[in-house]
Amino acid sequence: MSFNSSRSADSGSKSKRSFNSISSNRSGNSNSSDNSKKKKTTQKTLGMAWGSNSRSASRSSFRNSPFSDFGSYMAVKNQKLQEQFEAEATSSSNSGSSNGKPIFQGVSIFVDGFTVPSSQELKGYMLKHGGRFENYFSRHRVTHIICSNLPDSKIKNLRSFSAGLPVVKPAWLLDSVGANKLLSWVPYQLDQVVGETHNQPKLSSFFALKSSAVSVGSTNYVTGQENSEIEDPSLKGGTINDADSSGPCGYTDHSKPCSRDWDDSVHGNSTSVRSGEVTCHDGKFSEGNLSEPSNCLMLDKGSVDDLDQPSPCPPSASVVSDNAKKSTSSAITGPSKQHHSTLVDPNFVENYFKKSRLHFIGTWRSRYRKRFPSSKYSSSIVNASAQRTSVIHVDMDCFFVSVVIRNHPELRDKPVAVCHSDNPRGTAEISSANYPARDYGVRAGIFVRDAKALCPHLTIFPYDFEAYEEVADQLYDILHKHCNRIQAVSCDEAFIEVTDSEVEDPQFLASVIRKEIVETTGCTASAGISGNLLMARLATKVAKPNGQCCIPSEKVDDYLNDLPIKSLPGIGRVLEEKLKRKQIQTCGQLRMIPKESLQKEFGVKTGDMLWNYSRGVDNRLVGVIQESKSVGAEVNWGVRFNDMKDCQHFLMNLCKEVSLRLQGCAVEGRTFTLKIKKRRNDAEEPVKYMGCGDCENLSHSMTVPMATDDVDIIRRLTTQLFGSFHIDVKDIRGMGLQVSKLESVDTAKQGHERNSIRSWLASASASSKQQHEIGSPAKESASGEIDKQHIDESLGRFSTDLMGPAVQIGTNPSNFEAPSNQDFALPDLGDLDLGVVESLPPDLFSEINDIYDGKLINLMSKKKGKSVAQERVQVALKEGGGPFCCDPACVNENCVVDKEEKYPVDKIQSGPSNVGISTEVPNKLDFMPSSLSQVDTSVLQQLPEELRVDILQVLPAHRQPECVSDINLDPPSKAKKSPENQASVSSKELWAGNPPEWVAMFKHSNCYIFRILADMYYRSGSTGRLSAILQCTLSESQTLLDASNDGWDDAICCLCDLLKQYIKLRVETDIEEIYVCFRLLKRFTTKSKLLSQVYNVIFPHLQASVGESYGGSLNI
Amino acid sequence: MERGDNQSPQAQTARILVEFLEAAITSIVFLKGVYPSGAFERRRYMNVVVQKARHPELREYINSAITGLLPFIQKGLVERVAVIFFNSENIPLERFIFKLSVNQSYGSKVEEAELEFSLRSFFIKLPVVEPLTKVLPQDCRWEITAYFRSLPHASTSKDAELWIPTDTKEWLQPPLITPVKSMSSEPLGVQLYLEHPSVSELKP
Repeated sequence: MSFNSSRSADSGSKSKRSFNSISSNRSGNSNSSDNSKKKKTTQKTLGMAWGSNSRSASRSSFRNSPFSDFGSYMAVKNQKLQEQFEAEATSSSNSGSSNGKPIFQGVSIFVDGFTVPSSQELKGYMLKHGGRFENYFSRHRVTHIICSNLPDSKIKNLRSFSAGLPVVKPAWLLDSVGANKLLSWVPYQLDQVVGETHNQPKLSSFFALKSSAVSVGSTNYVTGQENSEIEDPSLKGGTINDADSSGPCGYTDHSKPCSRDWDDSVHGNSTSVRSGEVTCHDGKFSEGNLSEPSNCLMLDKGSVDDLDQPSPCPPSASVVSDNAKKSTSSAITGPSKQHHSTLVDPNFVENYFKKSRLHFIGTWRSRYRKRFPSSKYSSSIVNASAQRTSVIHVDMDCFFVSVVIRNHPELRDKPVAVCHSDNPRGTAEISSANYPARDYGVRAGIFVRDAKALCPHLTIFPYDFEAYEEVADQLYDILHKHCNRIQAVSCDEAFIEVTDSEVEDPQFLASVIRKEIVETTGCTASAGISGNLLMARLATKVAKPNGQCCIPSEKVDDYLNDLPIKSLPGIGRVLEEKLKRKQIQTCGQLRMIPKESLQKEFGVKTGDMLWNYSRGVDNRLVGVIQESKSVGAEVNWGVRFNDMKDCQHFLMNLCKEVSLRLQGCAVEGRTFTLKIKKRRNDAEEPVKYMGCGDCENLSHSMTVPMATDDVDIIRRLTTQLFGSFHIDVKDIRGMGLQVSKLESVDTAKQGHERNSIRSWLASASASSKQQHEIGSPAKESASGEIDKQHIDESLGRFSTDLMGPAVQIGTNPSNFEAPSNQDFALPDLGDLDLGVVESLPPDLFSEINDIYDGKLINLMSKKKGKSVAQERVQVALKEGGGPFCCDPACVNENCVVDKEEKYPVDKIQSGPSNVGISTEVPNKLDFMPSSLSQVDTSVLQQLPEELRVDILQVLPAHRQPECVSDINLDPPSKAKKSPENQASVSSKELWAGNPPEWVAMFKHSNCYIFRILADMYYRSGSTGRLSAILQCTLSESQTLLDASNDGWDDAICCLCDLLKQYIKLRVETDIEEIYVCFRLLKRFTTKSKLLSQVYNVIFPHLQASVGESYGGSLNI
Repeated sequence: MERGDNQSPQAQTARILVEFLEAAITSIVFLKGVYPSGAFERRRYMNVVVQKARHPELREYINSAITGLLPFIQKGLVERVAVIFFNSENIPLERFIFKLSVNQSYGSKVEEAELEFSLRSFFIKLPVVEPLTKVLPQDCRWEITAYFRSLPHASTSKDAELWIPTDTKEWLQPPLITPVKSMSSEPLGVQLYLEHPSVSELKP
């Protein structure tokens, strides 16, 4: 029976309430809540909020206040706050022994968001040293904005956020206090902001040189394969990036089928081709590159263009990647012959990088930085002057080969190549070939077998990294001797800049340098001399091998006229192809095209670059400092996994490698990107042995609030990232982990030390610390491996279970600090404050003692002559047959569980209240009894059911079922059923009671799936909702649920009853729940035959029930 | 309309429910894109964003239809409220069904806030189900239809006279049901689900 509701219009007038009135009723509430929010936001968004909101706000909630509107209220409030501040300031500066002029006179800060130290502390400093602290932002009163981090939205609207005021890191204040004078804020500018302003050349961007000099280790490691050249974006205003100059010397990459799918423009932009060497790139471009392809081409930054471009991109986008160094994975030397893949070599990652030439090149930079720190000079400003300069480009001739054969003069004129393997049929790639070999067509990047076919008497040498290092050092020694304005491009290639006033004849200087190089190193070098980087490099191409070439500025045009466009750096295959289609082959032809149409065709930056390059214009300066924006490691060769365990192991090693590299650069990162190469479904086994073949490139990334270089955190993040791929490990052909948003360690550390236990333990004298890391192997295995099969399953599940919350809440800064503390440096034993140690709770004491290998206890007993503590520890050690290590994150998250786990250990003592402290304990070594028999059942019994389930799972799998039931005190266990009467349960109300009847019944069933379900009941939070249980089961159990075949009929019958009763219970009121349950159940059907049968049996029943209540069938 | 304790729990519940239905139905109509989106404006209701019809006739239709149901909802006579979308041949294509149950014997005070909290979830869920719904053809039509448990007697309320039996076409086959959201708390239970014609219906 139904009524049509379409009613005549007159009836409408009777309506008593309208939608309108509803909202107006509510608007009162919402407005007032709005107001409180707005108050908050105004302090950040600078009065913008006023115009739009203040009127409405004042109407609703300030009607009765003495203030005419919100604005006047704020004015009064601000005034009052100022008065308070001044009162405090006078009192504190009186008490403080501030001598002379206060440091912060005239400085007025506004602290935005979370900072380390907190805004209150900063306020304290300002009070003490004569500065001002504003609670609310005001363009007129505030002089500096202090913040550690800015959200993207603010970065994007930096101007409106900061009103043009400097945005400075809190370290500025701290350092100023430390130095007892006001330091320049420029080096302390927020990185994000520095990155942002690069498009607008201001004076500060030149000063920013200093800031980059401050930050440590700007080494450029980006993965074995990719080596991105990154420049400090702040320098771009006045300089030109060096997108192409970094090729270690043209080794070439062999092009691969998979390289077809890259973004055209990206490829075009970033490929560099060098004369005499054909370079082609595969498509493995870094993410940043893909997203911001045109960045590679900010090569010529006329200031006009700079101004034209607002700064829309976040700093990360200004990463400039040089793909000249990219190669396929195969360019990497393989690990030792026996261990060719991740499958067989447990130390694959380590070996891989040990043998990697690209890795060598990457790490070389940091070495160079350390050797010649003075090279970070800031003379670029000088260069801006009108003085005429010459640039000399020095490049070693086939460096990798000539270094190896310098002690084999007989091979000088024979074809020689360098490759990690000399197997004549191998698919290893030639990394470098000398000129005689090149005459045969042997090029870098071709397979050894092809090279051998071209030139049967080719001699192949392995790498000799030590020699390379030695020669490179010699090379740079020579260069530094002659000139101090050097830009190191690679281990074998550099630019030097000389002004005409210093050197009469740059050609002469070049020849002197070359001569010295030959004499010292035994290897030849070529040099190109011209007015800028571009032309110098092009000149070198002409000069090679072993020669030098000078292109004076008046000859540039002639030279370029006939130069094929692909010789220009920055023009790759794609761009070349595009230009060819336009009948452009030479620079001369390119010059015919006006800039506007180039920019229209290829984008502003690329067009700009083409226009400039074709005219030999290159405004980059020599010697700019390139700060790395990311640190990472990637392996694309030999990656094969059989199962999850292999994969986890590999990831762990990758994390270790990345962590080491981060530490090597003395940086910590916040954004972690995991890249995976996934075999395409239709891809065959690659031609190259153990290569990656045709792959899809996938990547996920995650940003955490606190920068870290800690291997455990990285590992956890990586595991989480990996989880988000949902990928079959067998399809993985390569993996890379990249860390960006780097912060240098010294600034990042400040926050951490605060929380570490070290600051408690170390007495004031603890200045010299022996640093050693505490690695706990047990923990590694527990936290690293999700995929534990069967026997380990419970343990594995436990650890992931506990890890769960930590990972999820990972965005919360406080949570993240804690785990990062776990690798803290131990203070020297002598530095420990024994008073503190003594008063520690016993279990904490035993832990610390453990960390010190028991030495602590000796110290204590020596001191006290009493061995109470020792007893305790011995007890603990005795109990701890199988040390179970609890993840620190879980300690942090879940104090209750943590405390509980210690019960077995503590049982002799009367449960010390260690909850508060345990959150501070960095590295937690927990003891679990080796079997249930050692557990004090009385303790266990008093625990809530959920906890007990967890504990029981943690215990070794060889526990006896009797044991479980013995200690199980749960009242419903009286309803324990033996398996044979499971079939007859249909009469019972399975869902009655809390927990429902079936839970107790299933728990003691000998059918695996029943036990799982019962477990999951508690795990899912005991809500009694089947969907939650199923969801939980689905996500937690990776194994097939039907382990055994026997007793299926009973089990199916039993499950059907359970479901039927559930449907009956819920169908009337909650069809959504039923729907979700059956959707989940349907997903189970692919996993479990048993459940598939259950589903088939119950499905008609479900539809019948739904039809009864709803007159339709469920659309599952 | 006066609020307060002098109302029976059922009246209170019905009042909240009617408010909710009005907002929810408007949101559904918006979701289905029957009218240009300019015909709606964003409002906050139960602390979530909902749509409010700007066109007075549309607003009036929804409002009057639902408000007219108030006395019947209060008495527990309304079993379902359906929002039905028809094609140009007046054949229903999709039905959004609100299944209501108001506990008539509930005696204690209605926790308005709790009820609203539960109802809020519908607004959150609604935009999510959009992919499950059918794309409507051009010139479709829609209406609100209420299904009663029993015919209201004309005497019980003069409002009842305003309702006319409908001749809305029904599907021949039982429809396919896709639940959207269920909520059951005391004294109100609301379930929202979609009905689509079954596959066999579409064949001929």
